[in-house]
Amino acid sequence: MNKVLWIAWREFKHTALTKAFILAAIFIPIMIVGMIFLLGPLLKPRIAPLKGTLVVAASDPEITLGVIREMDPDRIRERQELSRERREKAFGAEAESKMMNPGAAMAEVLRLPSIHVKVEAADADADLEVLKDQVRAGELLAVAVVRDDALVSEQTPATNGYDLFVASDSAPNHTTLFEDALADAIVGVRVGRVGLNIENTRSLLRRPEANTRRVSEDGGEASENVAAKMIIPMAFMTLLWIATFTSGNYLLTSTIEEKSNKVMEVLLSAVSPLQLMTGKLLGQAGVSFILLAMYGGLGIAALIASAMMDLVPMIHLVYLLIFFIMGFFMVAALMAGVGSAVSELREAQSLITPVMMLLMIPLILWLPITENPNGALATVTSYIPPLIPFVMMLRVTAASEPVPLWQILSSIVVGYIWMFIMIWMCAKIFRVGVLMYGKPPTPLELLRWIRYR
Amino acid sequence: MAESSISIRGVSKSFGATQAVRNLDLEVPRGSLCGFLGPNGAGKSTTIRMIMSIIYPDSGDITVLGGSTLGNKDRIGFLPEERGLYRKMRVGEFLEFMGHLKGVRGNVRKIASDWLTRLELPGVYDKRCQELSKGMQQKVQVLASVIHNPDLIILDEPFSGLDPVNAAVLSRTIRELHAEGKTIIFSTHVLQQAEELCERIFLINHGVKLLDATMTEIRQRFDPRTIVVEPMTPNGDFRDVPGVLSSRPLSQSHLFELSLEPGADPQRVMQAIASRTAIRSVELRRPTLSDVFVQLVMKDQGEAAARQASEELTTEPAWLAGASSSLDEVIP
Repeated sequence: MNKVLWIAWREFKHTALTKAFILAAIFIPIMIVGMIFLLGPLLKPRIAPLKGTLVVAASDPEITLGVIREMDPDRIRERQELSRERREKAFGAEAESKMMNPGAAMAEVLRLPSIHVKVEAADADADLEVLKDQVRAGELLAVAVVRDDALVSEQTPATNGYDLFVASDSAPNHTTLFEDALADAIVGVRVGRVGLNIENTRSLLRRPEANTRRVSEDGGEASENVAAKMIIPMAFMTLLWIATFTSGNYLLTSTIEEKSNKVMEVLLSAVSPLQLMTGKLLGQAGVSFILLAMYGGLGIAALIASAMMDLVPMIHLVYLLIFFIMGFFMVAALMAGVGSAVSELREAQSLITPVMMLLMIPLILWLPITENPNGALATVTSYIPPLIPFVMMLRVTAASEPVPLWQILSSIVVGYIWMFIMIWMCAKIFRVGVLMYGKPPTPLELLRWIRYR
Repeated sequence: MAESSISIRGVSKSFGATQAVRNLDLEVPRGSLCGFLGPNGAGKSTTIRMIMSIIYPDSGDITVLGGSTLGNKDRIGFLPEERGLYRKMRVGEFLEFMGHLKGVRGNVRKIASDWLTRLELPGVYDKRCQELSKGMQQKVQVLASVIHNPDLIILDEPFSGLDPVNAAVLSRTIRELHAEGKTIIFSTHVLQQAEELCERIFLINHGVKLLDATMTEIRQRFDPRTIVVEPMTPNGDFRDVPGVLSSRPLSQSHLFELSLEPGADPQRVMQAIASRTAIRSVELRRPTLSDVFVQLVMKDQGEAAARQASEELTTEPAWLAGASSSLDEVIP
């Protein structure tokens, strides 16, 4: 076997086939996914059983009747379903929720506890203090006082409310239950007073569903999918980032370890610095690919399981591979360069900070680039190393309307040219750095090393 | 002249303003056992690194085994001054890994095991490197440098950090390898070891070669023509012995050092002393490498520089601290 391959194999074996790696890289993600699947439904808030009396003090008996209707378990279920839909629309989380747990929505509706609330009416001029004492004593669940001015059609914020008195130990979701029932009952009375039917009005007020489709220049149409537009690019970019950054970090520490253990020159007695660096890069590329395949495979398995594979066209996986190779070698070149220049891990901090800041940029730019994948920011950062692979991954997966092919091709060409330049610079630094001990170099000195014969 | 394993011609190397090696010429004959001597910072490690093509000379040529080092790397065994092991790796795995990197063919595991036995390290094959004592680690490093049965062995300070027992094992191994026909050059600043082992000496100071000769040539060239006598009584006057030029007592002992007249036969003078005075001992003093070094540096740079350089050579230096930044120190 070639010497470079022996180095690569040692690097791979002592990184990926260790207890620490298997624990950190395999079991922890599996545990996280397992927790999401198993603990997710269990951790969802549930309402404790509710039994007792709610007193509604109002001059209009319709209010009490309305509250009785609204406290019916079927109506409560309906209301919860509506609020879930509203929430999902606001966060664009429909697909995500289904992806993570397809049965969750159904389980949420079915998991209503037994609610046996007796609603009693009281006169508007009933002694409120007596009722409140009963709440304190636990004889009543709550007392609601609805004034007449809450029922008129023209209201100010001051007159729009009602008073609700609950025990100090009342559960927040029980209080919400009363609040929702009362609010809907009051609205029902208001609507009834102007001669309308509340059920009809409710269905009239339901916002219509949008079926947005983007029409492209070539005459095709593509559905607008919030999840595909926002979550998928983030997932791809994070996948790329984690795979390259984790193995880059391993490369940094293993290079520093070889220097601090003083095994470096022993190795250089058998191989050239370039062979050593190439072997190390290849070994860590293997580690990185394992991470990519493992996490990516998990993601694809989840998509297939939830029949959402159509969100990820095959070309995206091809792009992932192209930009993974580019991204890994860019990050690895930076890490190997820094690792070879310092003698101890703590000395690496000053040199690694700018690299880290640079690599954090794609994470910060996720939202603006995803929202506007063909904008100026996205286009410019597509040609700046080492951002190219990360930004392009965001762009090619984000745009419902495709990124112009010439931009994809040119950024791949520019990216790979930069990748080779970075590896070349790293090799120059590596060659000098591995033999240097003592004070860590400044960035300016690193530049001198590149020119050093 | 015998064919050279290493041929260095007019090599110079500077780091910034500091000239580490100046116009160095060196021939290491094939099959020889050579010592490469000099105080700290003399340029030994820089020269060795240039021989190994780890760094490159500014000018001059280096030929190793008739070609370039990179082309002959698998025929060279090199123990660097800055050496270590993968702490978490097992000894056997490390040796096998190094064997593969050095192009060993055949059963690397058996070769490594045999060598461990030869270096008196039985039972460490499956131990982690960090579990070994410093001396044992050093022997493993030496082993890693010769595991591929090289023709040329270059050892940079192989004895530093070794206790006398392990140093003796290493000396014996070096002699054995030499007897097998290997060319060996090792650097040291402990002159006694070089005197005991080497058949040829290269002495270097401030990047300049001061001496390049066999031990026999050195003894002839630097013969001090001095006899040391220890009489039975403390008093002794040997000035009237024929052939004695001067006599002086050596401090803190009963010894007297007698300088011989030019042309006087040391054998006859010793016989004359023994017949005239009751003596405990009489011996013809041989030149030590330390004396030779002091003489050479004194001629080159004056007495103060000679004394300082000599002290660095003969005292055990803190080489770990000093030499670890040898490159770093000289690159501004």
